[in-house]
Amino acid sequence: MPPPIERVLSDWIASGARGIGQILIAEREGEFTLCHRDDEGRDGLAARNSPNDAVEIAKFDEEGNYRPLKTAPNLRRGWCLELPDISALREALDFFYPGRLAALLAWERNRLHPTPLRETLRRQTGMYRVAAHVTDGEADALVSRFCRSQGGAPGCLRTILWARDETKARPSTRLPLDKFIAPGDQTGRGEQVIPLLCQEACNLLVAEAQRVVKAE
Amino acid sequence: MPARLDAALLIAGHGSTVNPDSSAPSLAQAQAIREQEIFREVACCFWKEEPSFRDARLFFDGPEIRAVFVVPNFISEGYFTQTVIPRELELAGRLTTRPNGQLWKYCAPVGNHSAVTDLLLQRAREIAPGVPKSETSLLIVGHGTSLNDQSAVAAKREVEKIAALGRYASVQSAYMEEPPLIADWVSLTTAPNVVVVPFFISDGLHSYEDIPGLLGIEREGDTAAGARAIFQRSPHRLHDRNLYYASALGTAPEFARIILEQVAAFDEAALDLAPIAETVISAHS
Repeated sequence: MPPPIERVLSDWIASGARGIGQILIAEREGEFTLCHRDDEGRDGLAARNSPNDAVEIAKFDEEGNYRPLKTAPNLRRGWCLELPDISALREALDFFYPGRLAALLAWERNRLHPTPLRETLRRQTGMYRVAAHVTDGEADALVSRFCRSQGGAPGCLRTILWARDETKARPSTRLPLDKFIAPGDQTGRGEQVIPLLCQEACNLLVAEAQRVVKAE
Repeated sequence: MPARLDAALLIAGHGSTVNPDSSAPSLAQAQAIREQEIFREVACCFWKEEPSFRDARLFFDGPEIRAVFVVPNFISEGYFTQTVIPRELELAGRLTTRPNGQLWKYCAPVGNHSAVTDLLLQRAREIAPGVPKSETSLLIVGHGTSLNDQSAVAAKREVEKIAALGRYASVQSAYMEEPPLIADWVSLTTAPNVVVVPFFISDGLHSYEDIPGLLGIEREGDTAAGARAIFQRSPHRLHDRNLYYASALGTAPEFARIILEQVAAFDEAALDLAPIAETVISAHS
């Protein structure tokens, strides 16, 4: 029996999901071809055929800058990745969007328990301990800037499932409501996609909160 | 190592938001171990990259995986192995039972393994082939003090072990941020040849730029390739010495075997199930 994540992945594709994040998934008789969604139908793409190739494709953006946040909307174009089966697809997607399939599986099983931002910040020690002093207003602006699907800095294509605090308030009032509702296509195309779920503020956001507090 | 198809392996590394090579050793070792088909699943997680330590709590969701071995890919015990990893992975000690009955076994970091000494010697031999050890000073360089950083202690331990072998003219440790300082390498060493091995898990700004800068090695160009080329240019002729500069210790492929041995050591050891440190308890209180 295939691992649960592969079964969930198969189900999403069978139900009509065309992609994940900025990646288009094309299936043909159990084999898969991935490319950037903006490269659909384009000729001359550099063909690769190992899931491990995803590591290098995902590492740098179009300008050659390192991509510390893999769900940022800056995946480079010009490549296609041919994969022989669902297992290789899962492996490649775990390199393109690390950890997101595990979150999806937990969500499908009602076992994904998002952590409120305040709890994440309170948990920090060492140099990030001060991040807990960020005000709600500062956090609102920060999340709006950092996590915004389109036009953010750097921006992120995940759907935010975590609240600001135990009141369950949204962490930012400045983001569109669909930023918090899964499954949505955060690229703005409105297509059926496999969602990239965010169950907890990432370390990059925590580091930004620390910078905001220290800049005061 | 015999197959453990009822178990998964999780390699926990530091990662970086600025250095694209930081996670490379962990990913390479995970792939090497994956190809041996010992574990049902092999995954990595990172403090500063994805998947995060927190994400990794969601991995290995299958009834066939009864145990998860967590091996920190860190050069020593310290703040990350004693505070951050247990807190983020919600480990209660060396052995944690999850609500589904899955056992998470928290192994010792790779840097604690006795084979690290041999890898240091191997790395030193490789960077200076044919250079007589009796005419060579070996300098093991680390970061030095930061939050609960015990890497300096670990580097000193390796110095003592290698010095006791009596092969090199001298063996010393030096640090970026505490004495003895790397910048003082000329006065710290006496032999005509000096071999410098960075006591780090991965190459990055420290090994590409900071340490060469402290040693007085001039950089060639501003590209990433230029930064990596630093390891191909030995010996550097500086202060009438031949300086041989190696890449970070943790990039050695032999660390995959060390990861497996830390897994085996966990099961072989008589377990002390006490919490890892006070910090673990406070993180959960």
